[in-house]
Amino acid sequence: MRNRLFAALSGLMILSMLLSACAPAATPVPPTQAPAQPAQPTPPPPPTKPPAPTNTPAPTATPKPKVVRVTFQQEPDSLNPLYSTMWYVAVLKDMYLATGLLTFNDKNQPIPWIAKEMPTKANGGISADDKVITFKLRDDVKWSDGTPLTADDYVFTWQMTMADKNTVQSRDPFDTYVEKVEAKDKTTLVVTFKEPYAPWQAKIFTNVNGSQAIPKHILEPVFKKDGTLDKAEWNRKPTVGAGPFVLKDWQTGSHLIFQANPNFWLGKPKVDQVFIKIVPDDAAQLAAMKAGDTDFGVFVSYQDMPEIEKIGTFNLVVAPSGYKESWFMNLSTRADKTKGHPALQDVNVRKAIVMAVDREKIIKELLGGRTKVAVTFWDGTPYADPSAKALAYDPEGAKKLLDEAGWKVGADGIRAKGGVKLKLRYATTTKDVRKNTQVLVQQMLKDVGVAVDLLNHSSDIFWNSYGDKGPIATGQYDIAEWSTCPSFPDPDSAGWLCKEVPSDQNPAGGNWQFFCDKDLDALFNKQATTVDATARVPIFYEISKIINDKVYWNSMWDDPDWWAVSKNMVNVKLSGATPFWNAYEWDIK
Amino acid sequence: MGRYIIRRLLQAIPLLLIISVILFVLSVRMGDPLSTFGGRTVIRSEDRKRLTRQLGLDQPLYVQYTIWLVGNDWMRLDLDGDGKPDVGEDGKPVYGTRKGVLRGDLGTSFTTKQPVTEMIAQRLPNTLLLMLTSEVVILIAALIIGLVSALRQYSIFDHTVTALSFIGLSMPIPLLALGLIYIFAVYFKRWGLPYFPTGGMFDPQAGPGWQQTLWHMALPVAAISIISVAGYSRFVRASMLEVIGQDYIRTARAKGLAERSVVFVHALKNAALPLVTIVGLDLPFLLAGAVVTETIFAWPGMGRLFYDHTTRSDFPVLMGIIMIISVAVVIFQIITDLTYTYLDPRIRYD
Repeated sequence: MRNRLFAALSGLMILSMLLSACAPAATPVPPTQAPAQPAQPTPPPPPTKPPAPTNTPAPTATPKPKVVRVTFQQEPDSLNPLYSTMWYVAVLKDMYLATGLLTFNDKNQPIPWIAKEMPTKANGGISADDKVITFKLRDDVKWSDGTPLTADDYVFTWQMTMADKNTVQSRDPFDTYVEKVEAKDKTTLVVTFKEPYAPWQAKIFTNVNGSQAIPKHILEPVFKKDGTLDKAEWNRKPTVGAGPFVLKDWQTGSHLIFQANPNFWLGKPKVDQVFIKIVPDDAAQLAAMKAGDTDFGVFVSYQDMPEIEKIGTFNLVVAPSGYKESWFMNLSTRADKTKGHPALQDVNVRKAIVMAVDREKIIKELLGGRTKVAVTFWDGTPYADPSAKALAYDPEGAKKLLDEAGWKVGADGIRAKGGVKLKLRYATTTKDVRKNTQVLVQQMLKDVGVAVDLLNHSSDIFWNSYGDKGPIATGQYDIAEWSTCPSFPDPDSAGWLCKEVPSDQNPAGGNWQFFCDKDLDALFNKQATTVDATARVPIFYEISKIINDKVYWNSMWDDPDWWAVSKNMVNVKLSGATPFWNAYEWDIK
Repeated sequence: MGRYIIRRLLQAIPLLLIISVILFVLSVRMGDPLSTFGGRTVIRSEDRKRLTRQLGLDQPLYVQYTIWLVGNDWMRLDLDGDGKPDVGEDGKPVYGTRKGVLRGDLGTSFTTKQPVTEMIAQRLPNTLLLMLTSEVVILIAALIIGLVSALRQYSIFDHTVTALSFIGLSMPIPLLALGLIYIFAVYFKRWGLPYFPTGGMFDPQAGPGWQQTLWHMALPVAAISIISVAGYSRFVRASMLEVIGQDYIRTARAKGLAERSVVFVHALKNAALPLVTIVGLDLPFLLAGAVVTETIFAWPGMGRLFYDHTTRSDFPVLMGIIMIISVAVVIFQIITDLTYTYLDPRIRYD
């Protein structure tokens, strides 16, 4: 009789196991074996035989495999460059794909990679009318299965990007700027543009963005059979690539394993294996660093930095990524919900608001003083004007400007003009450092008579478009703060254009400040077609002058990427644009 | 009994349909799957327009729901946005490829482009391993602690356990999880004691294996169990105290039965009936995993799957997971009710 209770409880448990077990095996042992360690007891060669030229171990003491462990905070969504814009995937592509014609070094300068040399007007790579760029490819690069990498792979990639059946993440820049992509022969690739396109070094088949070449010999049969590349197995298991490492295994949610590629065209990497562990939590990543469970920490937060330095086994490395923690003010005058506070229409009011905030103090208190105020939107690139100056912290000057603009302090300490109070909505995401910034700013602005309402939106709502009633895209703010950058490493940037102002007719528009400056528009259109980099730089000097003078943008602080690299790692040079570009040179002690 | 089961199952069908409609409307209206498609910046407007069309997000809500439920392989597609139904290269009209939930096709994720059933199948074994082990540990520990606590009411053991229970119940799980990691993984390693790993399912250099999995499972199971044991043991204790005070227990003792027989046969069986109800209701939610624990211990389970895809508003995945859990809840409620009749002869359904 007593067995009834026991039977009932165990019955429930067993039933739940049966009902929900999809796979027959209950233990989640990943199907692949551990990486081939030289000490494994697979048929070992007797020590008297001379070492065979293949992968049998030497008879003397076999060295442990060199494994670099990296912790990532987010899982890649797809390893096919056409289907992912995640930064984490962009970082990994340098390891397993690396088919960009150009790459960027640790100074964020473009250098040839699969292209034999940088195309210029002098060597005929860029045509006289700037509309045709010819790349000469190296002839010694092979995919990891031995097939040669040719210009046909790039043409195929372009065709797949533009195919309607492929729901690729982005067709940038092929849908708007590129006329056609042709292979004149196996090592000559010709790209024809509709108009001269200035950002070509960063955007056309480079290691930076999505359009690296995918293997035609693997994926063309898949496209012909399925009609689409969306569900190709290669997207989840790109076991054929041209990079220094080859993907060995990917257990979703858990880890990715990359094995050294002996056929890499620059030689086999010194590191045998790179193990990418997905650790979503910041505090857990810190604990892993303390316990020595990782060699590479990603996106280290400012609060954790003193702790990491205390551990003593990590170097903190900064890589400028072009990102700046920015303020954008709502300049909409439309008589609908997008309307910004009328005071912001006056450039002196905007200046005063910036002058009232002590940004150095915020950086010191919240970020440990480890970064600085960015002066122009293009700081950290050759397009930043070195003579530009940031508005200095000057609360008295701010008060004077506001008085002169007609906003006088009322009895309640808040400025008002014509019956309208100077009360601003200050919106940002829910990140802790931003919430703390908001509190400090609120106090600083109160001291000059400006009242501030603090608004926070979680990031999945913050980025919603006008069409999806996103809070910033629909102008429900007066000052909005988020971290953004130009098309780093290229200086091009679209959110300032008149045609990007969102509306019911243009629900996808990206100019969330709702302003239209004809002079700025003309300059942006000019730089987009100036293919010659030296002629392009002064245009950006003029652009940042207008943006800074009219306070169309303000920076709270420069927001580079911070890495924690173990002191056992050697030869690691991190680029802001293509972080793992020199993974083939890494070594670990 | 058979008619009762059939009646309950038939009642469940409209219930599940209503749940799916409400959840579908909520997920589609409250999230913008394309907002994260730009990587670290805002998505381009041209890409947004194209993807809205290609992913079927421009269709009216009832059309999207119908496609989700019954698929679109009977509908002609218009993927290039020219207003005319597409024609393939061979001249034949192009139809959709989805079969719909009713035929077992839970859809495709917007972000990973994998079928949702495949994604869930990859994560489910990991979650079940963790959650079922935790459930067994919780039940055993709660029964033992609650039993001893009730039998030795107001003893030192009872007071200590009560105090620890209150601490355990009030402890937020991130604090507990991180505390366990720091003590048993970081500091034990520093002090040279046998230590546990900081997270994941196995060590990269050692490779996967059942020993690795057990070793890595210890801390997450402890984190989940400690808090639940605190709650369940109080429950078992209270239930036992109520039963021990009953007349039939006094009768059993008066009849001269051994104390062990009184406790385990007469008292525990009756005290544990409410526990069966709670366990029965808990079991379907084991499928949902434990989001915070899985995040902190980097355990690849269903909770993290759900959370990762919620932040990207990837509603095919969310709908798939929620519907599976809803079905499990309905089934387990029926099973629990039936188990109750089996255990307690006073309860009968007609």
